[in-house]
Amino acid sequence: MDKPILNVENLYLHFRATKGIVQAVDDVSFDLQRNEAIVFLGESGCGKTTLAKAILRLLPRNVHKYTGKVYMDDTNLMELDDERFRREVRWVKMSMVPQAAMNSLNPVIRVGDQVAEPTEAHFGLKKEALAQAREVFQRVGVPVDFMSRYAFELSGGMRQRVAIAMALVTSPDVVILDEPTSALDVLTQANIMNVLKRIKKETETSFILITHDISTSSELADRVAGMYAGQIIELNDAEHFFSTPLHPYSQKLMASVPTLHQTKKLEFIPGQPPSLINLLPGCRFAPRCPSKFEKCAQDPPLIDMGERRKVKCWLYANGKEK
Amino acid sequence: MASGVLTEKALSRPKIGIRIPDTLARIGKYVLYRSVALFVTVVIGVYLTVLIVNMGGYLDTIRIAQIREQVGAGVLGDPTLQTLPPSELRKHIDELVVLEVQRLRLDQPFFVRSVDYLVDALTLNLGRAEIMTSNSGSKQVRLILLERIPATLLLSASANLSLFFGAIFVALFLSRRYGSWLDRIVIAMAPSSTVPAWFYGIFLILIFASLLHILPFGGMVAAPPPESTFDYTLSLLKHMILPVSAIILHGIFVSIYQWRTFFLIYSSEDYVDMAKAKGLTARTIERRYILRPTLPPIVTSFAFTLIYLWQGAIILETVFAWPGVGRLLYQAISIFDVPVIVGNVVLIAYLLVTTVFLLDIIYALLDPRVKVGGERRA
Repeated sequence: MDKPILNVENLYLHFRATKGIVQAVDDVSFDLQRNEAIVFLGESGCGKTTLAKAILRLLPRNVHKYTGKVYMDDTNLMELDDERFRREVRWVKMSMVPQAAMNSLNPVIRVGDQVAEPTEAHFGLKKEALAQAREVFQRVGVPVDFMSRYAFELSGGMRQRVAIAMALVTSPDVVILDEPTSALDVLTQANIMNVLKRIKKETETSFILITHDISTSSELADRVAGMYAGQIIELNDAEHFFSTPLHPYSQKLMASVPTLHQTKKLEFIPGQPPSLINLLPGCRFAPRCPSKFEKCAQDPPLIDMGERRKVKCWLYANGKEK
Repeated sequence: MASGVLTEKALSRPKIGIRIPDTLARIGKYVLYRSVALFVTVVIGVYLTVLIVNMGGYLDTIRIAQIREQVGAGVLGDPTLQTLPPSELRKHIDELVVLEVQRLRLDQPFFVRSVDYLVDALTLNLGRAEIMTSNSGSKQVRLILLERIPATLLLSASANLSLFFGAIFVALFLSRRYGSWLDRIVIAMAPSSTVPAWFYGIFLILIFASLLHILPFGGMVAAPPPESTFDYTLSLLKHMILPVSAIILHGIFVSIYQWRTFFLIYSSEDYVDMAKAKGLTARTIERRYILRPTLPPIVTSFAFTLIYLWQGAIILETVFAWPGVGRLLYQAISIFDVPVIVGNVVLIAYLLVTTVFLLDIIYALLDPRVKVGGERRA
């Protein structure tokens, strides 16, 4: 196994709110190999997007706790000061495709200039930046003469491609995709996923894909991290996660995905995910878990199942399913 | 996918060819419509002013009574007419009154005259003042106004422009330090702007002129005016300190508050976060991602500040005995000098519509989303 390109250890990001502390990202650890794609799956509000922001250090003002280690090339990014982080990490090592591409593009700057901007800011040379932007526009399938347009003159799919172009323009090691297709129609979704798959094949880039859309994510994923209430509850390779998930939550999640000509009834998980404020001790999924037993009152560790598979559930306390 | 790209390319090509004459025609049509609409606005505004300052015609009654009184006093005071019998005298007075009324066309219906006033006003034929005179003794409204405008511009331009740019600068700074103690203090001070500028003026006069004797009470230059240009400028600056401070003190906190909130809203846009994620410098983000998209409202605000400058500050100028347009208007209103009031309003009205007209065009230049003439999306 090669040295991972990105290694996140015990990352915490808690916020202060009027009602208490929001534990949006709570003790998250994972690693990512070169040219690998990991999907973070989970319901809305489970801390997926916050995790992305925590890795890129895009913090709101009410941060309560922000600790952990994020290693890239033997450097702990958490130890860099803001200016070094800006110069050496943002868009140089890591970039991001945001959730809503419309609002993420400056309305009064031509999209071509916006795509060229990171190259210009980090490596200087305006002319080359524009040439680079032109090249990356072609790679994501946006006509080059769209470079002189403004965001509002593009369709949703084109905008999303521009956002992807922007994330790829500096050839970063890791690209974080925050629900890149959730606002688009199925055809456009498929197009975008094809673009991403092609880019993954053509380049060395690693992807972190954040989504709640299980079916589209399976297109790109090599590995899957199931998230629940701010924690990773299962780390698995895509093949196993989608066919034989370990954690009871992942099992329920997979059972809720509709398939064609389905005879069995779609399942759902009774109850609500817990509020991330003032969480009770013990397993966070326990109140909704069908396999709950007495041990679930204690917080389960992330149990190593071998072959980079991990699960946070007492059912696997002995290294295999009970 | 490839074919989709091709069709979009093919569609965008011919458009470029027809775009230019199309745009010109569209802008020309728009300019025409807009000018007509704005001119109608000016006509309505000025006509309303004519009606109001004439009290809808009632002012004529007052004026005729005034004329009768003046003529009567003149005739009774004339020693050569003392010998006439009272009935002759009364007849003589009546004749003179009729002459004067005819001279002022007060015998014609008010409506007819109001239209004439309107036409005169719109053609900037501002006419003669009834009572007021310029310092050089002229009764021309144009000259009276021209004499006052530089004084007003000097005072309000220096005060309001420094207020405008100062507030934006501080607001940008505070929006980055949202929630800091400095931010909280400025926000807490914002209600102080409900106190009018002239009220601060009175206090400033009290402290710096009356108690400390370091600055003059009012006026524009020392009396008699200093001979050399240097001394004159120095004296002028000294006289400006208090009124300018009063205006700034009045407006600064609420302006900072408004702009700070405005910048806060716009700096929480997703594209600002994105710019941060892209690793752009704080200065670039501020310039290209906060100021640039918010330029249209800033320009609007600036333009209206400019219009506001011309009007002067009525009470503040009176408190500081500043010989500007504001004080002129105050004097004109108090003695019903209609031509002066109307002249002033016409001037402001024209400035206002010109600004609005220019703003429409500037918007289209600043914001690509604004298309002059409401063209369908490109």
